[in-house]
Amino acid sequence: MSDLPFEEAVYWTLIDLANAFLTGTFIGGYYAILSMGLALSFGVMRLVNLAHGEFLIVGAYLSAVILQILPIPPFFVLIVVVPIMFGIGYALQRFLLNHVSVQAMERRGMSANFGLMAPILVTFGLGIFISHLLFAIFATDAMSIKNSLAFSAIRLSMDLSISTLRFIFFLVAIAMLILLQVFLRYSATGRAIRAASDNPTYAALMGIRTDHIFAIALGISLAISGVAGFMIGMTRTFQPFDGPQFILVAFGVVIIGGMNSITGSLVGGILLGIVQVLAGTYFGPSAQLVGGYMLVLAVLAFFREGLFSR
Amino acid sequence: MSTLVRKGNLFSQPGRDGQYPILTVENLSAWYGELQALFDVGFSVNTGEVVSVIGANGAGKSTLLRSITGMMNRGKTAKIEGRIDCQGRRLDKLRTEKIVETGVTMVPEGRMLFQRMTVSENLLVGAHLPRAREMAPEKLEEIFAFFPRLSERKNQPVSQMSGGEQQMVAIGRALMSQPSVILFDELSLGLAPIIVDDIYEKVRQINQSGVTCLVIEQDMRRALDVADYVLVMLEGRIVLDGRPEELSVDAITDAYFGTHEAGGHA
Repeated sequence: MSDLPFEEAVYWTLIDLANAFLTGTFIGGYYAILSMGLALSFGVMRLVNLAHGEFLIVGAYLSAVILQILPIPPFFVLIVVVPIMFGIGYALQRFLLNHVSVQAMERRGMSANFGLMAPILVTFGLGIFISHLLFAIFATDAMSIKNSLAFSAIRLSMDLSISTLRFIFFLVAIAMLILLQVFLRYSATGRAIRAASDNPTYAALMGIRTDHIFAIALGISLAISGVAGFMIGMTRTFQPFDGPQFILVAFGVVIIGGMNSITGSLVGGILLGIVQVLAGTYFGPSAQLVGGYMLVLAVLAFFREGLFSR
Repeated sequence: MSTLVRKGNLFSQPGRDGQYPILTVENLSAWYGELQALFDVGFSVNTGEVVSVIGANGAGKSTLLRSITGMMNRGKTAKIEGRIDCQGRRLDKLRTEKIVETGVTMVPEGRMLFQRMTVSENLLVGAHLPRAREMAPEKLEEIFAFFPRLSERKNQPVSQMSGGEQQMVAIGRALMSQPSVILFDELSLGLAPIIVDDIYEKVRQINQSGVTCLVIEQDMRRALDVADYVLVMLEGRIVLDGRPEELSVDAITDAYFGTHEAGGHA
């Protein structure tokens, strides 16, 4: 840098910063989708879903396998993946997690702390089961979804460009966020989900079947994870045991954005994205993750509940 | 009250005063773990009446309402025995969400509103049942006309409202389900007397519109004012009952505090 004329040095500094903010923001959309399901299941059911990362990988495998069978344009696979993931989520909550939920534990007269532990242990075990099941079926061969967009970029100026896929994901994230908010605010089922999350006992007094409503909520959470898994497959290769690295990102995002805030996952995703790219630009690729987690720690230190927690 | 009880009371046996009861409770006992909270409680509520249940703290009034609304069935530690019927349906084995479908609802103690939702949203959640959902927009306007104050604040989060306003939301929310019976639990708790007067005036109007009311109240005067029939509870039992005009204040006071062996009335 020091050899460059002053004007040029300023130019490249600005380009670096613009690039960091732009790339970080668009990665943020992808991060938001990775973590929205986690924020939803925690916000509604106080469920810390430790199998979240594995569900993302299930979504990725499901997309890849269906695309191998059906010769359709990649994005159309979501029409199949989203309902299947919803069904898995619904069944899982209805027939397993409702019986070990925080609310179920409280009904059995156990303390709230113990109540939180039971679903954590169950989803932890579930995560291990899922990754080994995937391993049994697919072994460790890395898979990906082949697509023409993977290496395409939108050029904004001579030295500034963004990945086309990241741009699309960003738009999808915003669309999903708006859809989810409209659903939760204006539909009877959405209001029932919010009421049941606020106070399940008195939601029942309104005629709300909380076990069914919670199952819908986890269904939606996994449907979103299906979209996220598809996006993972579109941008990189994946293996059965990749779940944990994604849940780390998702936890980072929801800690920054607020554990129960869906809007917070977009802002959290963008902040994490920008900080990671900045750290990568100035301190090298290995600083990316460290930079991201320093942001997580800083948020925990100053905003214990996250930036957007209600 | 027996197997003769059928839907719509058509075949039910006449209860108190030769009237057909909408709600009957027979031999109801309730436990929290080892602790018995209700002992063999029995009474009936006639269609269109206001029945007040009075008693001191811990007399079992709230447990009675929790039993009727199925909230004692939710936990493993709490349980009930006995029989509860409403409009020909047996409630004591049903879950809360099914009980509400039969036309019974409750305005719970402490309001128990959905704190993160607005006034309108709380009211609309009250109309979650299929039978109520279709009529929800009209019903919402009715509630706003009934409580004009809520109309001014319909988009405000309920957490920012005063206790009296929250009580109006809780009552409105119960009305949204188009119930035949409303159980009111400690309406006056924590509210200024002038607001309590308003609230009880609303209860009277709700009753006149054809809704049967079971009112639980620690404030003896208000409970007697509003009631067609009074039950006094002490230590999990009904120790006195009768029409308010038939009962002497002394008898009620004795029964309330357990200072005298009070005899059951009719």
